[in-house]
Amino acid sequence: MRRLTLALLAAAVVFGAMLTLAMPHPTAPALATLPAVPIPAHNPMSQPKLHLGRLLFFDARLSGDGSTSCASCHVAQMGWTHSDPLARGYPGHRLWRNNPTVLNAAHYTRLMWDGTLDSLEVQARSAMQAPVEGNGKASMVEMRLRLVPEYVALFREVFGTEWPQLEHAWQAIAAFERTLVSDPLQVPFDRHLAGDGNALTPAARRGMALFEGKAGCLQCHNGALASDQGFHALGVPRQPQFDSSALVQIAVRWQNRQRDVPRAVYRDVDEDLGRYYQTRDPADIGKFRTPSLRELKYTAPYMHNGVFATLREVVDFFDRGGGDVPNKSPKLRPLGLSEEEKNDLVAFLEALSMDRPLIVETPKLPPMLPLDACANPGCARSLALRPSSNPPKKGLP
Amino acid sequence: MSQPGSSHAFGVCRAARSRARPWGMRAMAFVLGLLVLPSEAQEARVLPLPAPAAVRPVLAELGRHLFFETRLSGDGSRSCASCHAPAKGFADGQALSRGYNGTEHFRNAPGLLSVRLRERLMWDGRHAGANLAAVVREMLTDGQFMNGDARIMEERIRQIPPLLTLWRRAFGEASEPRSEQLFESIAEYLRSLDFPATLVDSALRGESAALPQPVQEGLRLFTGKAGCVACHHGPLLSDGKAHRLGVAQHPALQREPLRMVSLLRHHTEMGLPNVMAERSDVGVYAISKNPADRGRFITPGLRGLAQTGPYMHNGRYDSLEQVVEFHDGGGGAGSELRPLNLSVRERQALVAFLLSLSAPLAAVAEPPAYDYGLVDGARR
Repeated sequence: MRRLTLALLAAAVVFGAMLTLAMPHPTAPALATLPAVPIPAHNPMSQPKLHLGRLLFFDARLSGDGSTSCASCHVAQMGWTHSDPLARGYPGHRLWRNNPTVLNAAHYTRLMWDGTLDSLEVQARSAMQAPVEGNGKASMVEMRLRLVPEYVALFREVFGTEWPQLEHAWQAIAAFERTLVSDPLQVPFDRHLAGDGNALTPAARRGMALFEGKAGCLQCHNGALASDQGFHALGVPRQPQFDSSALVQIAVRWQNRQRDVPRAVYRDVDEDLGRYYQTRDPADIGKFRTPSLRELKYTAPYMHNGVFATLREVVDFFDRGGGDVPNKSPKLRPLGLSEEEKNDLVAFLEALSMDRPLIVETPKLPPMLPLDACANPGCARSLALRPSSNPPKKGLP
Repeated sequence: MSQPGSSHAFGVCRAARSRARPWGMRAMAFVLGLLVLPSEAQEARVLPLPAPAAVRPVLAELGRHLFFETRLSGDGSRSCASCHAPAKGFADGQALSRGYNGTEHFRNAPGLLSVRLRERLMWDGRHAGANLAAVVREMLTDGQFMNGDARIMEERIRQIPPLLTLWRRAFGEASEPRSEQLFESIAEYLRSLDFPATLVDSALRGESAALPQPVQEGLRLFTGKAGCVACHHGPLLSDGKAHRLGVAQHPALQREPLRMVSLLRHHTEMGLPNVMAERSDVGVYAISKNPADRGRFITPGLRGLAQTGPYMHNGRYDSLEQVVEFHDGGGGAGSELRPLNLSVRERQALVAFLLSLSAPLAAVAEPPAYDYGLVDGARR
């Protein structure tokens, strides 16, 4: 009798677990097509602003040594991120995290892997001024903009100031980034939702069923972004460069110090503590923001530390039930997927990307000219720079 | 940052520095300045170099390594020696210095030998001579020079095993790289650098009376008819004070936008009002905000000139002949100088004297370029 009870109990537990895994998360919003991009009231869109923002996004003069623009790490041809597992950052550095794509970043309410920032405007400033990323000193960068007559004219038109102000540059860049979003007409999954019966391949359809059912992906990857924008610890394998690259080790210690981890602590910490930096709650150690699953086709490698090169590796990792860390999410369990099911899941994930990558042509940047050289706005292009009195060195055009 | 005031405020009468001072007190300070100046002029003499400074050798040795270490700069490409090359008297041989990648500086890079003896540092005297480490910090961290981040410097040193060894030799086996000590180490190295002694030093000490004839005549003019010694005195041949000579603007400032960027950015950082209306290097005025200081720069020393041309705060002159001619003519617009009416022969003698204040430089050993090492994190 007692044995039967135990067996029944065990069966109930197993059944319950299966039910949890098989059913969509009761509170998880369904996958959906992205809505229109939210535009903050303080930074309305306009054509000249987008033009300015596009120029600035590609302009390395925003960085300390004139070497690094937003586009250096967010490469259109690499899905507006970079194919390096860990971000390259400013010359002389190698960063500690995979750089996230700009694609659809406009839809997040919190940015960065640990949710540190809350707007594209702030992110642009933070990236171009952080010593390990753009390393641009505000006063120097702002003055450079002021000696580019085309910028003077554009800032004046868009923001009404006599001279370019750096805070406005971040606004223009953010506005431009709000145009870098998935086009639903180009995404098979969105076409499927819109009623196109042929949008998804049979494999992708099976993958979608697994995604929403047996594999339990929807628990965290839900809503229009396929992200709950929450923070979870998965036990992603350690990035080998944490042990093999001096530059990464420097970056890890520096980042920990920047986040005011006590000196006694950061000397012993050689990893990325994730969400903990924001909350200081030990239960948040190792948690990172759920990334969107849109445009994955173009944004490899994957995870906060870029440790997986392919989607199949990612699926294998989740199939194993993730890794082994103290705060690991209870939502992760071994899934027991077959080879075919894993392939189907990958097919579905790829169907969340556009048919073709979103490419924006690299603009020709307006030249810096002697002050007072340009009395009228049309003169900028007609003037050529005279050679410098010093031999050339690496740096600005 | 210290706030030097007008020319009187440099050393002579520092009490006159405060701009909030009532007019009566300012006038009194001015009168005091006038009273002090003549007596100082009487004392104005060319002096031999003093004995070398007592430096802490382990600190100076660490500082020598750091002086050549490019990884102190933001992008790891520039060291102190990039603009202060030992073979060029610790200057860079350019009229206007290059500065950090992606920038062009608007002033001449000064040499660093015997920098420990200077009363004020930087062409606009914005740092007191005693604050050598503060200047090192500014050079290492400012966007115009090395654009480094203090904490990144510390973490990089930690990851360069031979430097970490030198560090712990200097600061203790349990010590960790700290930026304030880093700046101090480089300052200590700089304190160990001196101009080589010259024939003039021997003569001044009475050890040798045999100065060549033109040099002797040049020295006589220097302290006499030409009046150079009024501002160029002491062991460095500098009064450490600010003066307006009316040196013309370097044309590159107007022609090369990156130089104007650096200048106007500097004015912005110093809190100068109406920055975008300015087109020229205002010198000490940007620091003191006293209109009388517009165009004033700190008197440079005159040792080692053979190795440190071009000359003046903006490298306007390539040769000492030009410099002497400029002074002979009474300087440029708004100059505090008077025409000297020197003959060609007298000008030549002055140049001969100036050159006699240089001697061949001691070779400086450049440390090897060390690789980064790994830190064993898990078992640290």
